[in-house]
Amino acid sequence: MEGEKTLEGWTPEPDAELPLAHIVDLAFDYRGNTTVVKRDGTELHGYVFNRDADVEAPYLEMFDTDGGGPYRVPYAEVRTIHFTGKDTAAGKSYAAWIARKQAEKAGRQAGHAPP
Amino acid sequence: MSVPLSQMWTVASYVLAQRFRGRRKYPLVLMLEPLFRCNLACAGCGKIQYPGQILRKHLTVEQCLRAVDECGAPIVSIPGGEPLMYPEIGRLVTELVARKKYVYLCTNAILLKEKLEAGVFTPSKYLSFSIHMDGLREEHDEAVCKDGVFDQAVEGIREALGRGHRVTTNTTLFEGADPERVRRFFDAMMDLGVEGMMVSPGYSYSKAPDQEHFLRKQRANELFRRILSSPKRRWRFNQSPLFLQFLMGKRDYECTPWGNPTFNVFGWQRPCYLLQEGYARTFQELIDGTRWERYGKRSGNEKCRDCMVHCGFEATAVQETFSSWRGLRDTVVATVSGRA
Repeated sequence: MEGEKTLEGWTPEPDAELPLAHIVDLAFDYRGNTTVVKRDGTELHGYVFNRDADVEAPYLEMFDTDGGGPYRVPYAEVRTIHFTGKDTAAGKSYAAWIARKQAEKAGRQAGHAPP
Repeated sequence: MSVPLSQMWTVASYVLAQRFRGRRKYPLVLMLEPLFRCNLACAGCGKIQYPGQILRKHLTVEQCLRAVDECGAPIVSIPGGEPLMYPEIGRLVTELVARKKYVYLCTNAILLKEKLEAGVFTPSKYLSFSIHMDGLREEHDEAVCKDGVFDQAVEGIREALGRGHRVTTNTTLFEGADPERVRRFFDAMMDLGVEGMMVSPGYSYSKAPDQEHFLRKQRANELFRRILSSPKRRWRFNQSPLFLQFLMGKRDYECTPWGNPTFNVFGWQRPCYLLQEGYARTFQELIDGTRWERYGKRSGNEKCRDCMVHCGFEATAVQETFSSWRGLRDTVVATVSGRA
């Protein structure tokens, strides 16, 4: 639906106001693939399905784009995460469905309305 | 109340055994999601909004059975995704029935007739098809965002009943539901001959797109009072009468999030079927490692504030039945009188 916010295409860099842990949380909530950029310059592409920031060595878990994994990546190895994949939740709201149905109904009624 | 006596006895003896052992957190129903893939794309469902490689994944039967054994709940509910799209659904159900687990296979029934004709399932008192039905034709097709599904579901129900299967329905009521139409829907399901109905208010999954359309608690109480205050004798519900009283606002319950633990391709879901706040690798890790104090109404967690969904509160109702003579008496009275 128009107006719905999505993080698709966002390429944040962590700083004092946007800590890495928050970016990981957003990636965990994101319904699309992401690119995990590691401190050593390598990248992992896939879906972040879990994270735990409350343990001694916080980590995230992900499946790669082929479904391989799960891979566990410590926060300490992550530089940032880019929201590179399509947001599969975007534009699929119940409101959009209702609006579409109502538009269809209105169109049918208009088409059959007497002149 | 339409739950068979043998099932009631199994649940009762299980709950009493847990209490006798002093176990405070025990599961009642395992929500086993072998896959997220579905042949519908309901707007209210956050389960299907994943990238392709996740939707293509599914648990193996062995992974499912390990989870069942690890958890130990007497009832296994198989939602999804659409479980009839799971390639090994027949073998999975056969294995669960062999373990004497009461299985609720939650399906939209689009593929049900085809699977029944193919001989995938054998009737058993342990197996019930729980058909997703969100109302009469207009309401249901609107809820699942596809026309014609209601009629397919009815056809599936008839086929299953004709073959001697147990069939129940599960209904989620959303804001704007018309109490009179819901009552007519209950009549229609009883006319079809289903064993019993399950009903619950909708909840906004934290990742679902249509949060503003789900019921808030007060409006939900009002809606259920209007639907259930003068129930017809012929209506049968496949759930605790105390839970129905809770829906009507006659009882105030706290959530029992560990009552219906969820296992899927990501692991054991924290803290419940509805919220996805992380995953544990084992059931024990889920129980021991989840910060349960962060959830439920008393926690102040806004995600839990208005929740009345059966996966959190039916277990509470069942526990009340077996934790006091009063709870047992109220359950018996409601069951015998047919009044919620």
